[in-house]
Amino acid sequence: VSLQTYAWIVLFAPLAGSVFIGLTFRLLPGRGHGLVGTLAIAVSFVAAILAFLELESRGEEERQVVSVAWDYAVTTGIDAQMSILIDPLSVLMMLVVSGVSMLIHLYSVSYMGGDRGYARFFAYLNFFVFSMLLLVLAGNFLVLIVGWAFVGAASYFLISFWYRRTTATAAGIKAFVINVLGDVGLVLGTYFIFKGTGTLDFLGTFEAAPEAFGENESGLVAGCVLLLVGAFAKSAQVPLHTWLPDAMEGPTPVSALIHAATMVTAGVYLIARMHPLFELAPTAADVGAIIGCLTLLIAASIGLVVTDLKRVIAYSTMSQIGYMVMAVSSAAYAAGMFHLMTHAFFKALLFMAAGSVIAAMAGVQDLDRMSGLRKAMPFTFVCMLIGGLTLSGVPPFSGFFSKDEIISLMFAREDWHIVLGVLGYVGSLLTAIYTFRMIFRAFWGEPSPEARELEGGHLFHAEQPTNPATGEVEDTDVGFPGPEHHIAERELSMKIAMGSLAVLAVVGGIVQVPRLNESLHKFLEPTFAGSHLYEELEPSGTLIWVGLVIGALIAAGGIFIAYTLWVRKPAAPRALQERFAFLHRLFGRKWYFDEAIDLLVTRPWGWSGRFAANTFERVVVNGALVGGASGAVRAASAAVRGGQSGYLRYYAALLLVGITGLGAYFLISA
Amino acid sequence: MTIHLSILLFWPLLLSLLGAFAPRAVAPLFALVGALIPLAYAVLMIVDYEPAARGLQYLTDDAWIDELGIRYTLGVDGLNLWLVALTALAFAASALWIALRPPVRAKLYALHFGIAETAVLGAFLAQDLALFVLFFDLMLVPFYFLLGQWGGPERVQAALKMVVYTLVGSLLMLAGAVAVAVLSPTAELTFSLAELRANLTGESTQKLLFAAFALAFLIKMPAFPVHGWMPDAYRNMPLPVLAVFSGVVSKVAAYGFLKIALPLFPAAVEDWQLILLLIGLCSILYGSIQAFTQTNTRLILGYSSVAQLGFIVLGIFALDESANGAQGALLQSINHGLVVVPAFLIVALLAARSGGSEDIRDMGGIAFRAPLLASLFLIVTLATLAMPGSANFVSEFLILLGVFQSKLVIALVASTGVVLASVYALRLYIRSMHNRTGVAVTSFELSLRDAVVLVPLVLCIVAFALYPQRALDAGEPAVRSAVAPVTQPAEQAAAAEVTP
Repeated sequence: VSLQTYAWIVLFAPLAGSVFIGLTFRLLPGRGHGLVGTLAIAVSFVAAILAFLELESRGEEERQVVSVAWDYAVTTGIDAQMSILIDPLSVLMMLVVSGVSMLIHLYSVSYMGGDRGYARFFAYLNFFVFSMLLLVLAGNFLVLIVGWAFVGAASYFLISFWYRRTTATAAGIKAFVINVLGDVGLVLGTYFIFKGTGTLDFLGTFEAAPEAFGENESGLVAGCVLLLVGAFAKSAQVPLHTWLPDAMEGPTPVSALIHAATMVTAGVYLIARMHPLFELAPTAADVGAIIGCLTLLIAASIGLVVTDLKRVIAYSTMSQIGYMVMAVSSAAYAAGMFHLMTHAFFKALLFMAAGSVIAAMAGVQDLDRMSGLRKAMPFTFVCMLIGGLTLSGVPPFSGFFSKDEIISLMFAREDWHIVLGVLGYVGSLLTAIYTFRMIFRAFWGEPSPEARELEGGHLFHAEQPTNPATGEVEDTDVGFPGPEHHIAERELSMKIAMGSLAVLAVVGGIVQVPRLNESLHKFLEPTFAGSHLYEELEPSGTLIWVGLVIGALIAAGGIFIAYTLWVRKPAAPRALQERFAFLHRLFGRKWYFDEAIDLLVTRPWGWSGRFAANTFERVVVNGALVGGASGAVRAASAAVRGGQSGYLRYYAALLLVGITGLGAYFLISA
Repeated sequence: MTIHLSILLFWPLLLSLLGAFAPRAVAPLFALVGALIPLAYAVLMIVDYEPAARGLQYLTDDAWIDELGIRYTLGVDGLNLWLVALTALAFAASALWIALRPPVRAKLYALHFGIAETAVLGAFLAQDLALFVLFFDLMLVPFYFLLGQWGGPERVQAALKMVVYTLVGSLLMLAGAVAVAVLSPTAELTFSLAELRANLTGESTQKLLFAAFALAFLIKMPAFPVHGWMPDAYRNMPLPVLAVFSGVVSKVAAYGFLKIALPLFPAAVEDWQLILLLIGLCSILYGSIQAFTQTNTRLILGYSSVAQLGFIVLGIFALDESANGAQGALLQSINHGLVVVPAFLIVALLAARSGGSEDIRDMGGIAFRAPLLASLFLIVTLATLAMPGSANFVSEFLILLGVFQSKLVIALVASTGVVLASVYALRLYIRSMHNRTGVAVTSFELSLRDAVVLVPLVLCIVAFALYPQRALDAGEPAVRSAVAPVTQPAEQAAAAEVTP
């Protein structure tokens, strides 16, 4: 079996699963659909491993393979085929996406157990994975855009999965529209690049680009910045990030999927994939690096104050993606991809643990209501702790190595990238604080009533299910969210999924330890063979060791600060809030991005729509513009109405007779 | 294989005339057979058609009115092949819908329906300008009656408004057609499009005549700002009629630009290009903002059509060197038809579930007990907003690429239309299918008679999304030759001298 065949299996197994589940949605009993969905992704994962082994067995030069299935939209000057590109970068993404998704599916088999939309959920989930795999395997711009948009659509389906909640549908449309904005950026960026290179094919583009564009030529910079718009929309970088926290309306496994495996990493992948273009347009790459750095700080600052458990993790994703975008925009490709991988492990784990907590709280997500869950949920607690330690970058967990690699390469890049490195450390400190703020608040302290009930062996249920976002009473006849809740302590499949991820989060760092084992860097080399920065960018020995020590100290310091504030001196946070009221309000209102977008974008469109509908149409289109004609219409219609519409038929018949007569005359005379 | 276009053309008319003499109960069946046979014929034609061959295929050419030089010429090329198929499909779907829900005065209804199909097919197949004008004007008659007699409460006013409006365009076009034939430097008076194309009129004449034809087509589409008849007509037309009306009649106008306006008046296009691009752009923006403001489902779809036809105008007048814009426009004509036909039929189903109201404020939560309906509607919605992966996206991609190559700024502004489309299309879907259940809403699944019409239509959308290549292949040479007089006038002149 060839490499290409494996890749196509990776791609189409989830689609087949999705279609199968969709067609049999009433036929399979119990958790059948969940198992079928998980199986489909497992097939994909196995094929990805086989593709990886096959790729490894090849010579360095043969590690970039393009496979064409059919001509999609080939026409004059346009070579849009259904083609995929298999190289180390896409294989790495394939492994991460299918592997982590498989565990998330396994988790969902139990977690979504009582939900009435069970089959629909797995059909969407499989489709989501298919879309992401299409995105990472795409061999040309058109297929990339298709995968890109499918991911957006799949996220919309799943964010508004509980579609009776108006908050969920509002969040869904917001995510979709911002993603379409990103799609448009991607399309326009493609145009700019296509105009120079005359091909949509990736490898062809990379080959033609140095000839077609000079360094920092305006057309290429415009194209790359527009590609970044696409990347920012999908990867939730400022200012296109506002959909991400709202996306928490979806069921928790969806959050895990969006944040760990299938969606927000797309932008990072895109920049890495397009590295030959970004290296020719360093201005655009700098934009990416700066926005990434800004995002990592802004998101971390918001993470310090939000009280919704899932939203804390969501902002931490934004912040971590900021690191990755900063890395791949600064030519630290392997480091960015490394962090993408470890992040996938620990972020999926954190969301799964959060899901378990939310289930124990009967749907409540507010940190203010949680406390002392440590004893009631020991397994969840351990998983959350491992995830938190990894996220904070505590050695020897995997996140420690990956984050440090990014920061040390920023210093190695010198010039103003050093500033980014320093800010990266500031971000690390904030990360450790907000992560452990969340953990201490949820798991330490006096057990909440729900925790006590659980310690007594009984899972808490709300008397009346409500929407956690609004407090609105749910439509109970609908059956989703399901009436039952499932926590990790009681479900084997959830335990397996979380346990596997916990192990990966702990040991995942070994694929890339500075000076000891650089297998990830080596593995990715064929993809980045044309990049001179890939090889040259190498931190010195001192830089590495100093960096590792500083990173560890900062993580420990952050955790210590969180411990002091939320465990030892519980009154201190309130005092700080009052002391820094302005900052607290700024962070709490999420830097006013939503308000600004509403004022600058949403409302003007709404006004113009109302103006068009209520005024323009009446006055201009129907009034002034066709004054004469419409006057005639009115007169005529008044005459007809006067004759009680019996005339209409008469008049109409006359018209028909006239036309028929005319036609007959010509026919005869011919 | 020999395909007789006259059979394809007159079969629907013949059957509906026969139906007029049949018992009332079976009249809709005659209309159905009248629509199904052309569909089968059109499918055969697509299979049989040689994409590589140049020029017209299945040509029918007979003398008709010799004194005036009018000939009965029908033919198929890459420009109309798929549009004919679309017409046959739309009418077949609608006829099936009607046959399963016979209207009052079914015989007369079926008669008008048959006339309508023949008229639209005639306009697409005609290779003689006089014949085109005849069919183009004939289209108005059956739709006028269908709207005026079977329409909603304001049908009389709506029908009159539509007639007066489009009659203005039709008369202009009629005058223009006569003028072209008379002023063209041919040896004898002729309306043959091929002849007229080889013997262009003088430059200043072209500019005037182009305006006459363009106005007629823009009104028919309708495009901003001459869409004034659309809201009333769309609000009142019976839904199965509206489906074909919006699906194919507007495409005749788009086709007219490619078939007649560009090849016959190339000298005028340079002057008019920018104006038409701006009309297209305004149609996109205005149609979109109206579509996300209106609450009547018919008007949401109506204004979204204005926006999508704006894209088609944009594509036709991109006039980029490789004709990508025009190719996208042709593909978009097919795609829009494929999408809007099921969309209007779905409106009927939504209304049946929301206590008869067609207003999205009265809807909500319809998806709950109707997963199949929800899935079909979702696919239609995503295709409407031209999601990448749909054929609609391929056409928009080509259109915008064409405009991008020739007029960068217009392409950048027009691309906001893509974002706006996602807003209005999803708003329609969410407000009807999702959210809390509306007060008068009862959610229930599609019945078999609904599914039998909708499922095949949606499958067509999916199939076309996976493989739009065939339509592109057929259209490519025809589209290139349609825009060539404008984009490569010198080569065109040389080619015209060689061909006798």
